[in-house]
Amino acid sequence: MSSATSTRVPDGPADAVSHDSLWPPPFEGPADGLRPWQFFVLAALICATGVTWLLRGQGVTVVVLMTIVMGATALVGIAALRAIRPLVTSHQDRTPMIGARTRVALEREKMLALRAIKELEFDRAMTKVSDEDFRVMSGRLRARAGRLMRQLEASAGYRERVERDLVKRLGEKATAEPVARTCGSCSTANDADAQFCKACGAKL
Amino acid sequence: MASLGTFLLLAAFVACSYTVVVSVVGARRGSRRLVESGIGAFYLIAALMTVATAVIVNAFLTDDFTIKYVSRYSDSVQPLFYKITSYWGGLDGSIMFWVFLLSVFGSIAVYVNRERHRELIPYVVATIATVQGFFLFLMIVHNNPFGTYVSAAPLDGEGLNPVLQNYWMVIHPPSLYTGFVGMTIPFAFGIAALITGHLDDSWLRAVRRWTMFAWLFLSFGLMLGMIWAYEELGWGGYWGWDPVENAALLPWFTATAFLHSVMVQERRSMLRVWNVVLVILTFFLTIFGTFLTRSGVVQSVHAFGQDPTLTWMFSIFMVVLLTFSFGLVIYRLPLLRARNDLDSWMSREAAFLVNNWILLFCAFFVLFATMFPTLSEAINGERLTVAAPFYNKWMLPIGLVLLVLTGIAPLLAWRKSTLINLRDSFLWPTVAALVTGSAFVAVGFRVWASGLCFALCAFVTATIVQEFWRGANVRRTTTGTDFFTALVGVVGRNKRRYGGYIVHLGIVLIFFGFAGEGFKQNAQVLLRPGEQTTLGRYTIRYDRLSVEDDGQKQMTAAHMSVFREGTQIAALYPAKWAWHKHETEPPTTEVAIRRTFAEDLYIVLAAAEAGTQAASFQIFVNPLVNWVWFGFGIMALGTGIALLPERTYAFALAKLPEAAGTTTAALLFVLMLFGAPLSAQHQEMSSIAPVLPRNQIEKRLGEKMVCLCGGCGKEPIGTCTCSTAAGVRREIATLVDSGKSEDQIIEYFIGKYGGQQFLGAPLDQGFNRLAWLFPYLLGASGAVVVGFAAVRWSRNHDKAPADAPAAADQDLDDRLDDELRNLD
Repeated sequence: MSSATSTRVPDGPADAVSHDSLWPPPFEGPADGLRPWQFFVLAALICATGVTWLLRGQGVTVVVLMTIVMGATALVGIAALRAIRPLVTSHQDRTPMIGARTRVALEREKMLALRAIKELEFDRAMTKVSDEDFRVMSGRLRARAGRLMRQLEASAGYRERVERDLVKRLGEKATAEPVARTCGSCSTANDADAQFCKACGAKL
Repeated sequence: MASLGTFLLLAAFVACSYTVVVSVVGARRGSRRLVESGIGAFYLIAALMTVATAVIVNAFLTDDFTIKYVSRYSDSVQPLFYKITSYWGGLDGSIMFWVFLLSVFGSIAVYVNRERHRELIPYVVATIATVQGFFLFLMIVHNNPFGTYVSAAPLDGEGLNPVLQNYWMVIHPPSLYTGFVGMTIPFAFGIAALITGHLDDSWLRAVRRWTMFAWLFLSFGLMLGMIWAYEELGWGGYWGWDPVENAALLPWFTATAFLHSVMVQERRSMLRVWNVVLVILTFFLTIFGTFLTRSGVVQSVHAFGQDPTLTWMFSIFMVVLLTFSFGLVIYRLPLLRARNDLDSWMSREAAFLVNNWILLFCAFFVLFATMFPTLSEAINGERLTVAAPFYNKWMLPIGLVLLVLTGIAPLLAWRKSTLINLRDSFLWPTVAALVTGSAFVAVGFRVWASGLCFALCAFVTATIVQEFWRGANVRRTTTGTDFFTALVGVVGRNKRRYGGYIVHLGIVLIFFGFAGEGFKQNAQVLLRPGEQTTLGRYTIRYDRLSVEDDGQKQMTAAHMSVFREGTQIAALYPAKWAWHKHETEPPTTEVAIRRTFAEDLYIVLAAAEAGTQAASFQIFVNPLVNWVWFGFGIMALGTGIALLPERTYAFALAKLPEAAGTTTAALLFVLMLFGAPLSAQHQEMSSIAPVLPRNQIEKRLGEKMVCLCGGCGKEPIGTCTCSTAAGVRREIATLVDSGKSEDQIIEYFIGKYGGQQFLGAPLDQGFNRLAWLFPYLLGASGAVVVGFAAVRWSRNHDKAPADAPAAADQDLDDRLDDELRNLD
């Protein structure tokens, strides 16, 4: 399986970036309560509404500008919290690491090495690189890419996480089937959304 | 509001200081907690500057004239658009705008790279925050844009300078600042790489797109400035080698050199020290350019003014910057050793080396010439002038050499080109150049510089077309698709390369436009209503004068009819505007331009007499000038293509729009195409009819001597239409009538002015010889350094050990091949 099809690490304890949880994440899971950024956005909206009402009649430009000020002030709040929070909470760095480097960095370097190989192949086809030079340069790049692939695949639990994620994605498709309802009186199987039994008319 | 603004600046400064300390300590101690806090504080600076920006813009829009900055650069009747853009109209606001942009760009750069370059990020954050802290310190102690009046504030403001109330002038500073500020990011990554010792290619990859992005906006800003000068200053040209223009050009040279030399490091692990030096130099030149425009060290129409305190503060910052940066380079020299040698001068590496040498020569030459007046004043006590004639003498041949290299380098192979390579690659481009050159001579043109330029343009265009053709054929052979699909595919799969070729095509078109200067025609005429004159293919008839007022200014316009071969082709209205709120300043003049891709007809109303309606005009025919602007559009398109993220980066850039770069570049290009130039704005004018040159002495002196009125950027007095220049021309005419020779007239003016500052280029004698000698010395020393480096590389050093080959693993090889196929 090609590691080029690597998927985003699933949400949960292995989430990639710990302290950017203050920012709106791209895919939201179930809400755990008001997050700091939500609080500040809400506060900004309320203040913007208040400002719009107070400055009504003074022109669109001023109202728009003051609304922007409110929004920017909310950003100040979020950023200030982002600065202070690591100092006052227990820090758990959940970024996937491989040795001293992050997984993201290694994956990117691998892709850059692959891209460099492709570029070298193109240069050879365009006679910008001799065959001998191509062999030497390409060999070096392939060795680097190979080392990076080994490092990435050897990191603990990587394959298992990918397989878990695949199972999860495939499983979501299969969960859509509705469950049939059985009548308590005559044991007839009814549709999942049925209110009364189709055979005896008893309420389900 | 003013107090809030000042508080925000103070808070931002405190946040900067915290960021620097916490990031450095966190990195040294390996504390993720401190590093994360530093990153958060870095974002906080951006948020605070956003609020501060909103506050100052609000002050402009609500006409809060209690704030000095607002009253200086705005007034109650100023259009809304110009009220907003007055934010960067003055020195204080421009510094704040700089910090705002830097904080936003820095936040984006840190956010994108926070996981890819974890080891570098703390020092990147600290470096950028240090630069921000310097500018914030400047504002807090000396140039606070929120400073208020101690006593009663004025009821109305002074208004933005009419010269700046122009569409091009509005977008020119933000574009230039984006370019300048963007160069801080590569510098920060370079410093971080030096501090941490992670000097492999990773820091280069982090900054390549940022450098291209900044370079694009720097180019855009320069081009806007050229368009503005062409339409605004009304002297018929677009680049006067004004010190402030040069200040923006200097980092452009070094950034261009960096964008090329980075490829050598990526492919051949050479020029590693050089790349770090270039990045430091580029950033230094952006700070130096800012220093030039704000310190009063140079005289320029673009300068913000004189400020000795600012001069000292900038000077100290630049000294610290250079000392720290180059100290790090020296410290890390062992790690920066090249891993490969220069095997042949007929190689792409050698071509890039020469390319870098030429670009750096240009940068240092322009820097020296810009500073020469200050240098001569400091040493001799006499402030000399170095104007266009001096620059053009050198930049013209150097520019042509650069054009040649643009064509040659892409044809050369890496490491060594064979004779067969060279023959196959150079045949058709050489034929194209020879055919073009011969055709040029055959039709009777004798301007050698323009002819050579046309031939070289043909050469470079042929190389670019050849590269596209061959690349598409290679892909067609590999994929089996049709030629057009293969062409699209080859560009899509090699965006950086082919985007770069399109940029080169843009450069060719720009040079093509420059070559038209060799055929420029101009005339100065005095006409009465009904009279006409002829220039080139055009007959221009002066019909009448009209006067109107729109409440802000009185507009005096000349109605002109333009004929070609007996048929009227245009009606033009060159004008002069007298601004009611700027009555102490001379009225400004609207230039009228009829544009075609072949040439522009450009008319300036120099002076008019209301009684007789007699008017004097300057008329220019500028061949090919619009290719310069079009060429830039092509450059922007090419840069946009090169900026596109690779498809395989999509997973790593999941949070950024993939097409962001394309969208930006496309919008930029559309802006350029649809931003049709307004009928040109103004030039200083005179109400006194100018004296026209009657003989060769007057014509030559009109080109050699520059106007010292202080408002035209030292235009030659033969073309400047102000009253000062007109007076000097009359004086020259009187001296010529009295029988004086050209040299005697120059001696007379030296005695009158007490120096040679009125000359466009200093006389070649005494200390001035240094000005003429310097380019030779610079070129020679540069060639020696390059040659020395090349010889050293070409000796058989013990090669650095190559990456250890992996043990044979068929499964790994197969998977590697699978992934390579997936890239297609």
